[in-house]
Amino acid sequence: MSVTYLALEIRRVLRSPRFMIFTVAFPVLLYLLYVGLWGKDPATKAVLMVNLTSFGAMAAGLFTGTRVAIERQAGWQRQLRLTPLSGGGYLAGKAATGMTLALAPVILVPLVGKVVEGVGLDSAGWLRVTLGVWLAALPFALIGLLIGQIGTADSTQPITQLVMLPMALIGGIFIPIDSMPQWLLNIAHVLPSYWLTQVGRGGVTTDLSTSLGRDALVLAAWTVVLSVAVIRRYRKDSARV
Amino acid sequence: MNLAGLRKHYGEVRAVDGVDLTIAPGEVVALLGPNGAGKSTTVDMLLGLTRPDAGAVTVFGRKPSDAVAHGAIGAMLQGGALLDDATVGEMAGLVASLHRKPLPVAEALRRAGIGDLADRRGNKLSGGQKQRVRFAVALVSDPDLLVLDEPTSAMDVGSRREFWRSMQAYTDTGRTVLFATHYLEEAEEYADRVVLMRAGRIVADGSVAQVRALAGGRTLRAVVPGVTEPAVAGLPCVTEYQVRGTRIAVSSRDSDKTLRALLDAFPTAHDIEIAAIGLEGAFLSLTADEEPVR
Repeated sequence: MSVTYLALEIRRVLRSPRFMIFTVAFPVLLYLLYVGLWGKDPATKAVLMVNLTSFGAMAAGLFTGTRVAIERQAGWQRQLRLTPLSGGGYLAGKAATGMTLALAPVILVPLVGKVVEGVGLDSAGWLRVTLGVWLAALPFALIGLLIGQIGTADSTQPITQLVMLPMALIGGIFIPIDSMPQWLLNIAHVLPSYWLTQVGRGGVTTDLSTSLGRDALVLAAWTVVLSVAVIRRYRKDSARV
Repeated sequence: MNLAGLRKHYGEVRAVDGVDLTIAPGEVVALLGPNGAGKSTTVDMLLGLTRPDAGAVTVFGRKPSDAVAHGAIGAMLQGGALLDDATVGEMAGLVASLHRKPLPVAEALRRAGIGDLADRRGNKLSGGQKQRVRFAVALVSDPDLLVLDEPTSAMDVGSRREFWRSMQAYTDTGRTVLFATHYLEEAEEYADRVVLMRAGRIVADGSVAQVRALAGGRTLRAVVPGVTEPAVAGLPCVTEYQVRGTRIAVSSRDSDKTLRALLDAFPTAHDIEIAAIGLEGAFLSLTADEEPVR
């Protein structure tokens, strides 16, 4: 993976207005809206901050991966296969792009939380909400890559929405997990978005929190499974054309 | 570059059905054939993009993927292959950065005749400009073998001519080029050698003149005072003839021999014209045949 490659990828995404809206403006605005609606006390403000940070990181990962479909269809992927860039290098570059762009919401939403909404955390808490959530977003960059390799330029949008909605709703981002019945909470436990949120949530509240070690373990397992799926799909796809 | 016994099937369809082809360094080879003849599949296997079902490919003594990794092959693929949201300079620059010994990007763009388009984004390019950008991307690794799949489709006559001018500047440096094309006059004008494919096989392979000859040689016309039909029929290498008064028209497998014999017998023959059956004629007759000519 080369620096020029990564730099071009990031520059290209930054040119896309959709990216700026979805992963930069949307989580911040939504956070301000939610706080206005429900953020009566500092604890709720902090939990909402975690939820919207997680949402932004998730969206950034998913969104960059799905751009793969466009490149595949345009034949750019084939053109790159005629360079020394390996398939692994290509995929790693895409995932790294998603992760780099996920930095935007991971920095911005907590910043707004602290400066505008006055959320106060100890440094360990801030570290979990920022760095922790950022690292936990890796499975979503991989899911995005997988969608990008399965879908076409036209179908990746709806597929991404179809993945993102249940992840956000049942994973405890848009519906607070405290208000979920047990059966829904059981479903939530399967989703990586639940564990993503838990990483940050543990930094702001002890309510319904899980141990960081367990969060990390589940997310690492997701990362491994998704990596294998992405690589297998890439091999299959490139053998076919 | 060597292809041996190459085969590729897609389900029941034999896209490439036993292709043997060796190209020496410095040759400029045109790959001709109707749609579905297996040109693109052959090119894909040569580039290592498609794995053959049987047979072997070596490029400069290496596997295609190794030759690609060493930057020895540059390729201009059919259609697409560009980004809408990146500039020409960025695309060529990226590909250059991935290779070990690339040309300077500005140099590659200049050679492709698009030195002034470096800041233009992919979605703002015309069809002909896109082709040139693809050419620049193929050139930028400074490859020894250039593979072009339909390089001048979507170009108008003027830009096609300009494209081939920049192409010739490149081949003059002794590089090897293989190009697939629909435009017979391009093959006629720019290739040292023509390889004709039909239904997954090579049906003719040789210089432009040889391939033409395979399809029936040349036509000789002349005004011959005192000519008789038996005299014309008796000329060597004649396949067909017409006599109208003193005017004759003869199809010949070897027009040189026919002409010499004609002049020996009728020294007063004049207004002599010898016309080649165009490559198009050869192309049509060779690819329409049920049985391969070779």
